[in-house]
Amino acid sequence: MATTNATIGLTSDITDSSLSVSNTTQLNTAGTTTGVNTMTSVTKVLSSTSQADLIATGSVSTTHAYVYINNPSTDETKYFKITIGDHTGGEVEELGRLYAGDFMFFPWDVDDDITCVPSSSDDMTIEYMVFS
Amino acid sequence: MATTATLTLASSDIAGDPVNVTKVATLTKADSTNDLDQSSGLNRVHLRSTTQKTLLSASATNRTPGDNKAGKVYLINKSDDASLYVTVSINAQTVGKLYGGDFLFIPWSQTDASANIKVAATNWTSSTGDIPIEYALFHEDQDFLTNA
Repeated sequence: MATTNATIGLTSDITDSSLSVSNTTQLNTAGTTTGVNTMTSVTKVLSSTSQADLIATGSVSTTHAYVYINNPSTDETKYFKITIGDHTGGEVEELGRLYAGDFMFFPWDVDDDITCVPSSSDDMTIEYMVFS
Repeated sequence: MATTATLTLASSDIAGDPVNVTKVATLTKADSTNDLDQSSGLNRVHLRSTTQKTLLSASATNRTPGDNKAGKVYLINKSDDASLYVTVSINAQTVGKLYGGDFLFIPWSQTDASANIKVAATNWTSSTGDIPIEYALFHEDQDFLTNA
């Protein structure tokens, strides 16, 4: 068992009274206080606007994982559509668009692949980590 | 006005060497360097049913599906019980389970009218007690949130 912590901080002055949130969670196996013990870290360069199978369910041996995805681009026009579902061209649901400099972090039920669609056929780098 | 999100992933023993990744993002509008300028604020609700609930509604009437608009969602399960989870879905697609203390931070584009974010306290029972969750939406389009 390993101990892995994820900490998020959000600060915003959009509203008149500013918002500040900070939380830390230990990444555990499903429903336990036992830490996850597997980590995958990948950087890919995509050169097509075709849907790419980013994280396949077969790459994870559990039914509960934590996923971090990062778009390290500094060009604000370069984003990835992040989708989840059938990577073979069937129905997929778009979670959202990861714009330049954005990241996402979420639990994944490892039931369907996580896919992405680059906004440009220029070389676009995407990074991800999976904890399970 | 600016909104900043910071994520740190740290472990001293999940690999042979310590892992420490910190990412800071300033939340911007789509294809822009301009800051997001609207927020739902931080909300708290208690789930006390296994029935799936719509937490954030995609706009079916005020937006055109496929609009390129930026939005970010923060959601946390504030239960102290590590076994109690909230199943998070978008439309009919399950994303994952937030166990007690877990959070997510994801972009939400509402690219189809059914892309509601839904939650269900799947293993809640009358003896487990409420499952409190907190959430916030940061966005750019005034019609992004139909249940505001």
